[in-house]
Amino acid sequence: MNIYYIQTSKLNDFVSRFKKNHNVFSPYIKDPAVKEKDYFYKKSADTEPPLFNAYRVVEPLKSFFTYPDEKVTEYFSTGKNITDLVEKTIIFGIKSCDIVGHKIQDFVFLEGAEVDSLYRLRRENTIFISGDCTDFKEVCHCLAWDILPHPLLGFDLNLSPLNEGYLVEVGSIKGEELIQLGKEYFVQAKETQISARKTKRDNLIERLKKHLLPQNLVSKDTVQKLVREGYNLDTWHNFMLTCVECGGCNLICDTCHCFLLADKKENQINSKLKIWDSCLYANYARVAGGANPLKTRTRRLRNRFMKKFDFFVDNLGMPACCGCGRCIEVCPGKIDIREVLKDLAKKVTVKA
Amino acid sequence: MKNIYKPIEATIEDIIVETSTIKTFVLRTSESFEFKTGQFVELTLPGIGEAPFTPSSDPNLKDKIEITIMNVGRVTSLLHNITKNTSLGIRGPYGKGYPLEQFEGKDVLTVGGGVGLAPLRSFLFSLFGDIDKYNKVVLRYGARTPNDIMYKESLLSWSKKKKVDVVTTVDVGDSSWKGNVGLVTTILKDLPVDLKKAISVVCGPPIMMKFVTLKLLDLGFKPSDIYLSMEKNMSCGLGKCGHCRIGRYYVCRDGPVFTYEMLKDIPDIWE
Repeated sequence: MNIYYIQTSKLNDFVSRFKKNHNVFSPYIKDPAVKEKDYFYKKSADTEPPLFNAYRVVEPLKSFFTYPDEKVTEYFSTGKNITDLVEKTIIFGIKSCDIVGHKIQDFVFLEGAEVDSLYRLRRENTIFISGDCTDFKEVCHCLAWDILPHPLLGFDLNLSPLNEGYLVEVGSIKGEELIQLGKEYFVQAKETQISARKTKRDNLIERLKKHLLPQNLVSKDTVQKLVREGYNLDTWHNFMLTCVECGGCNLICDTCHCFLLADKKENQINSKLKIWDSCLYANYARVAGGANPLKTRTRRLRNRFMKKFDFFVDNLGMPACCGCGRCIEVCPGKIDIREVLKDLAKKVTVKA
Repeated sequence: MKNIYKPIEATIEDIIVETSTIKTFVLRTSESFEFKTGQFVELTLPGIGEAPFTPSSDPNLKDKIEITIMNVGRVTSLLHNITKNTSLGIRGPYGKGYPLEQFEGKDVLTVGGGVGLAPLRSFLFSLFGDIDKYNKVVLRYGARTPNDIMYKESLLSWSKKKKVDVVTTVDVGDSSWKGNVGLVTTILKDLPVDLKKAISVVCGPPIMMKFVTLKLLDLGFKPSDIYLSMEKNMSCGLGKCGHCRIGRYYVCRDGPVFTYEMLKDIPDIWE
């Protein structure tokens, strides 16, 4: 696919063009004073330039496609279709980990026997403008799962900062069409620019490796065996002790997708709501009559790992973790996914 | 584009009281609704809630669908309090159902516990409708007390059918009960089936399925010849909401009927 170059000021002009008929979301920094800055998404105002984020934002990408609590259909009435309300959206600031994690959401909602039509419409009406990572957070560990800190696939356009502008790699027909709508802003990238991009990317990978190597993290090809063989270990119990069942790890995870389908009646109209659920909640697996296969917190914590590292490896050929570290940051009990897996690794090896 | 979460309307035509805690709801759907035996549906009490059930009627009846429901939880207790002509929502059918073609020419042992006889009634209707295809149908059913026995008249008429053998047991008898007293495993002795060509279909509470499975293995049934109904807390029915996972499977997508062969290496399946 094509690679272009655009100056920063021109990128702003280019993006402004689309704000009339698209919702454009871009990262911003809520508190610039903290040492490790956090980026959040907001809807970008008319003339506001998109901010380039050094690493992933706080909110998971899934939150553009499924909402914590939303009406998905009305029934027994002739109201208008929920799907009629979908708007065109452009999202800046997506990172490599987000794209990989989002494969899980796509697998769940777009594949299988039936397609979630609302999810599909939102997906079809959204343009992904990703970017290389130029820095990382302490919790970042994409490389441990063989995910590079710059996206290779799955974006419409990808930005790599270079001098006073960006290299813009096209990743889809949708992306190329977007460029053609403002082609006067772009020039073909030069070989020297592309090799400069490679140097920058390689440098970040080296820095990240230096950060991760001493952590001695579990690898992608051993993780399924590890959770299976460690099923009866005390790891789950030990890490559960500080879990307060807030569900934060699930809700902020870009691969977690569980929801409850609930019913509601308002003004004589029946509707079904999709509400994000968490397998750490006590009633997650409870059935009518009270039986609960996940009745202890230990089981629920283990369930989270079995789903990620056993179920999805079997069903999709990849673990449901992209190393974004959001669950580590959000956990009030300081439960660290890296440490849980390392504890299993230590004990499973000792046993063998 | 189809909205997969939207139920169609079904009107309750009749309500049959089976026991003090179990009722059968006879539904007529506003659009055609077909299912294969063993598949399940999601039934909505409008504006209130939804729960998964496996129909208990003959899948060949095209104009109505019957669902037998025990009063055990929030939705089911409310369902037990509604009257004829109420509208419910129905979604589905979901899951794979029983692979009937694999049972042809076989001795089919059916083991039910409690309200687990409901899905099995639909299964038995399917077998009876095509009885020439099967060598023999054996039903072993256990209820808690004589008053908890469902489908009493059907059980009696089935036992008079050719090629069909029915035995019922109760955990606790009463003065009128002349039959076997004991758990359903106590009537799995001296089964009139030829193990070389027998398969078994089991449905009931998890604890019952566990002990029946162990008994059947003991009798010489292969794990691949034991079919179990694993009904968990399916919410969406579509393999999307995540609730009904067992190991690498979703009960709603890959089941609810599984062979024991598929499940035997997964921890905690009876929980």
